[in-house]
Amino acid sequence: MNKIVVIAGLVVVAGLAVAVYRAKLGAEETQGRIEELKAEAAKVEQDIAIMRAEEAYLTRPERIGPIARERLGLQQAAPDQYVASEALKQRLGEEQARLPPLPEDTSVAAGPAR
Amino acid sequence: MNALLRSGEDVWGPRRARVVAVVLALLFVVIVGRSAWVVFNSPLKDDAALPVAEVVRRADIVDRYGQLLATTLPGWSLAADPGVIWDPSEVTSSLQRVFPSMNVAQMAELLSDRKRRFVWVRRGVSERERRAVMDLGLEGLRFIEEPQRVYPHGSLAGHLLGYTGVDGDGLEGLERIYDDRLAAGGPPLRLTIDSSVQYVLEQGLEGALAQFELKGAAGVVVDAESGAVRAIASWPASDPRKRGDEAAEVKTNRAINVRMELGSIFKPLTVAAAMEAGALTSGDRFDTTTPVKIGGVVVRDPHPLPEAGSATASDVIAYSSNIGAALIAQRIGPDGLRAFLEKVGLLGGGVSQGPQPASPLLPPQWDQSAMATIAYGHGLSVSPLAFAMTYTPFATGGEIVSPVFLEPVAGSASQRRRVMSKQTADTVLAMLRRTVLEGSGRLADAPGYEVAGKTGTAEKLTPKGYDPDRNITSFAAVFPASRPQFVVLIVLDEAQPRTGSQRTAAFTAATIAKAVIARAAPLLDVQPVPSSAGVEAAGLRGSERTTP
Repeated sequence: MNKIVVIAGLVVVAGLAVAVYRAKLGAEETQGRIEELKAEAAKVEQDIAIMRAEEAYLTRPERIGPIARERLGLQQAAPDQYVASEALKQRLGEEQARLPPLPEDTSVAAGPAR
Repeated sequence: MNALLRSGEDVWGPRRARVVAVVLALLFVVIVGRSAWVVFNSPLKDDAALPVAEVVRRADIVDRYGQLLATTLPGWSLAADPGVIWDPSEVTSSLQRVFPSMNVAQMAELLSDRKRRFVWVRRGVSERERRAVMDLGLEGLRFIEEPQRVYPHGSLAGHLLGYTGVDGDGLEGLERIYDDRLAAGGPPLRLTIDSSVQYVLEQGLEGALAQFELKGAAGVVVDAESGAVRAIASWPASDPRKRGDEAAEVKTNRAINVRMELGSIFKPLTVAAAMEAGALTSGDRFDTTTPVKIGGVVVRDPHPLPEAGSATASDVIAYSSNIGAALIAQRIGPDGLRAFLEKVGLLGGGVSQGPQPASPLLPPQWDQSAMATIAYGHGLSVSPLAFAMTYTPFATGGEIVSPVFLEPVAGSASQRRRVMSKQTADTVLAMLRRTVLEGSGRLADAPGYEVAGKTGTAEKLTPKGYDPDRNITSFAAVFPASRPQFVVLIVLDEAQPRTGSQRTAAFTAATIAKAVIARAAPLLDVQPVPSSAGVEAAGLRGSERTTP
């Protein structure tokens, strides 16, 4: 009986030792992984910060202005190029009135919204 | 057991068995105890119990639309250990190839002191410089990671932003004013500044150089309803990346920190003060044909008015009559004028959020002489920002707002006070519009944007008195006059045309103001008004507001 108790005790102790060792090892691995993820997150944050700074540098008005003018031919709208939305609607209505009537079954799809 | 006892081999006698059992039990207890200790006192638990020391990244600064103006990026600094450097002169001469501005003699002396184990060689090293130093393969050098403050837009809004020191502490501008808030990290500091409008304003001041010899310039664009400062600039521009390593005249923020006599742009305030006191109506007429002596000064008009013998307050503003302004001020006296200027915040004392304008330089005593000169903008020095805010009542129908630099503007520390009646504000606004349509401000008329404004030309005060050859020229404006939204102020210091001799504000500041308004208005979502609608501003505004 004693022999069985002793052997059982030894098995329990050995099992406990292995379990504790594995638990500790697992915890260390998890800790390492957390550190890795933290470092990765910090690196990604840094990369984002650098890219945002690069974006701001590349989109600064003194760079975009000449590109818009020289390569795209854009220029600031003159005051007389502005039209009130009411006037635009009126003009669209006039143009629509000048168009030949559309067949009934396609009138919705071919309306002024297109 | 009985068989063992019978054979005489007492291997598992009760006593020995107990001893073994006790030993095993003790061993068991030790192992279990140790296991428990590992579980409950492991280094992992200790680490978890400790507070995590996080590196706080200084908060960004962005404009009202989130455009990045200042940020913090990883960077490097170069340090040396003199104790392991055998040939300091070789190290310093090699380093000078990477850092040409380095003081070689001073660095060689530092590196020669072998008792020292740490010397900063260069703080804030770029990646290119870092690679170059590493390629040198020098002994005793090492790079230390240090965050760096970066300004992607370069000098844009440089004076306002300020800069940080090598340790990341805010030393100037908003970096200094909001240092605690920025150093604590967190969400970006969002300014009311619109970087596109800021660029337009700075380009306008820079563009002045093409037309005039200039000593300096300043400009302000303010949302008259909220007090939100959309752009504020000082020329020469300051580059925050230089961390203050610039000449004093470059570092000076002329829009906020400099006070100056701004000249005739004060006249609308004089007229408003008299109207508010009930001492002036728009129909009153003044004889401005001859100089007048008020107190100890003789007031003259450099240019006679079209109807000098019978000039109205509107004529006094439109054609900029010093005599007329002084006569109007005389109706309310020094105390009346002083009280009004105090009410609009020009005599100091007001506390606003963010950068504080320079304190005004007041006359030694408020007598008749001071009153007469201040009526047309001499004898009282104020900062351009403080003055720009005094035109907001003409846009809001009589209420002055304080400048705001941080979003959200709603619920901010912006203060709004009534300083004149709506009738007075509208009347003076109409006079300002007339000044641009018919008077001295014609060159400021940006088509479609109904500019209402006033020119100002002030002689600069020197130790020998006022110098007629050195002027501060300015233009203060509200636009668009029929539905006022923004106040613009342009100030030029000693603007001298490169061709011709006209150096009054009508030819200098007014033209710059026109260019700035024409380019900034679309960016500020101001709808242009068809040119045929260029009628008297007050009438337009009145009819708009009464129409349901």
